[in-house]
Amino acid sequence: MNLSTRMVVVLTSIGLLSGSFLAIVGQVTKERILFNKKREIEEAALRVVPGAKSIQVIYEERDFTVFQEKDEQGRVVGYALQASGTGFQDEIVLGVGVNSELTKLFSLTIIDQKETPGLGAKITEEASFLRYWQDRDCTQPLQLRKPPVEDPKSLAANEVNTITGATISSKSVLNIVNQAIAKARQLREEGKLGSEK
Amino acid sequence: MNLLVIFISAVLINNFVFYYFLGLCPYLGVSRKIGPSISMGLAVTFVLSLTAVSSWMINHWILLPNGLDYLQIVSFILVIAALVQLVEMFIRKVSPPLYQAMGIYLPLITTNCIIMGLALLAALKNYDFLETLVFGVAAGIGFTLAIVLMAAIREQLELADVPKPLQGAAIALITAGIIALAFMGFSGIIK
Amino acid sequence: MAQKSIAQELTKGLWSEGPVTRQLLGLCSVLAVSNAVINGIAMGLAVTFVLVFSSLLVSLIRKLIPNQVRIASYIVIIASFVTIADRVLAAYFHDLSKAMGPYVPLIVVNCIILGRAEAFASKNSVGRSTIDALGMSGGYILTLLLMGAIRELLGSRSILGQQILGRWFEPWVVMLLPPGAFIMLGLIISLSNYFDLKAKERRRPR
Repeated sequence: MNLSTRMVVVLTSIGLLSGSFLAIVGQVTKERILFNKKREIEEAALRVVPGAKSIQVIYEERDFTVFQEKDEQGRVVGYALQASGTGFQDEIVLGVGVNSELTKLFSLTIIDQKETPGLGAKITEEASFLRYWQDRDCTQPLQLRKPPVEDPKSLAANEVNTITGATISSKSVLNIVNQAIAKARQLREEGKLGSEK
Repeated sequence: MNLLVIFISAVLINNFVFYYFLGLCPYLGVSRKIGPSISMGLAVTFVLSLTAVSSWMINHWILLPNGLDYLQIVSFILVIAALVQLVEMFIRKVSPPLYQAMGIYLPLITTNCIIMGLALLAALKNYDFLETLVFGVAAGIGFTLAIVLMAAIREQLELADVPKPLQGAAIALITAGIIALAFMGFSGIIK
Repeated sequence: MAQKSIAQELTKGLWSEGPVTRQLLGLCSVLAVSNAVINGIAMGLAVTFVLVFSSLLVSLIRKLIPNQVRIASYIVIIASFVTIADRVLAAYFHDLSKAMGPYVPLIVVNCIILGRAEAFASKNSVGRSTIDALGMSGGYILTLLLMGAIRELLGSRSILGQQILGRWFEPWVVMLLPPGAFIMLGLIISLSNYFDLKAKERRRPR
């Protein structure tokens, strides 16, 4: 066969062969990959609401998802809000657990972040940051306590601690959480948070 | 507002060269003089913008709706290769002076991490069309900034007495590291 | 030019023609994933997989591919193996995959792979090409491990997650960040150059 035909034949065969092979690999790995992604989100959501055994997505938009969580008896125990926003370096993805009335914040977990190691990255640490976010009063927007305190009990009910040397990361987390809760409140007023059964 | 954040982020805070480590091969090779560096930067920005648009279209119109996301790598690289070929032919025919200015760099750009990197990052971050376009243009501007800064410093380094083991890539990388350190000062300017 | 022995083919990638330190290829990936040794190992294995199988395949069908379409063909072959590596990693090593981000797919534009396909695999037998690929991968992994060990030790006090340095050492956080990577690689390359210059000096007749 002449050159042009040969070029076409070779390219097409390579294309078809690789396409088919990739299709097989794609299918074989698809389940696992979806499962991995889902599990990461669900684990975070369950972690932040105490007593939660099952979750259900009741609202989803870009960078913001609301999970309704129920206990073993099927009673609603709260919501997990997954939200993301700009941090010091790059995007921060986090999850907060709140009660059904949106008045109490159970806890916070950081799902993804690329802050400075040893400084901003401490927002993922229990001892340096997360333990100050337990059982906060979020009827009003949360505030940052600066300079930071050692004992969580010396914080006011609506205050959270700043990380020394990582004010911007701490503040970014605060803003993302406050905005998420405000958004959830607005959704509830619009009746979009589903029934509370 | 979001577009502005993406723009500033890609140019300064998460610069494609100093944060994502992309575009280093042409970076080290071309950044010896300021003139060619600007041309290279222009060429790269041009290709990045086109890639941003085409990779988004392929991803969102063909791949994702059909569950073919595993074909991203193959499709993106083929599209980029074809795009660069077409652009080179087009420029050579339509504007020889422009070709003289930047066309010669185009083949170098095809297998450049920065183009593929843009397509992959935009897909990873799930940007919509406009966001991807802004991201691409900003990435190009950031790259141009990086390469021109490097060229300016390297032109000065030519006059300095660099120890033999450090000559060439080694000192270029160390310089890049120091500039990267300076760029870290841009983090957190977006509140 | 005389053909190298098998041993020489295998070891040239480790020093004299080191892909990272001599040929200056694959820099993006080395800089990006060398912040922890485990990431370096994962990336090294992925690159080895892609390099060896691409070289093997390209060498196998090298006589069938017309010259004009060779680059396009190599790209499709390489991209396919990269996709496999990426999918397998995402499916079975989710945390590693997340830590490495877009850098596994970026193996497709890793100049080492296309470079070897073009410069070697397309012109040599399957056996030689495979050995060349293994040697180059070895050199790549070596550089990655060296960078990874230094950066992780100085930046996190640990290697492979095991703490090595005690609390007395204040971590050099910059080592985990881009500037540290650039400077470290520059120093390693200059070290490699230094030894190379010394060796050349010794060989020069007096």
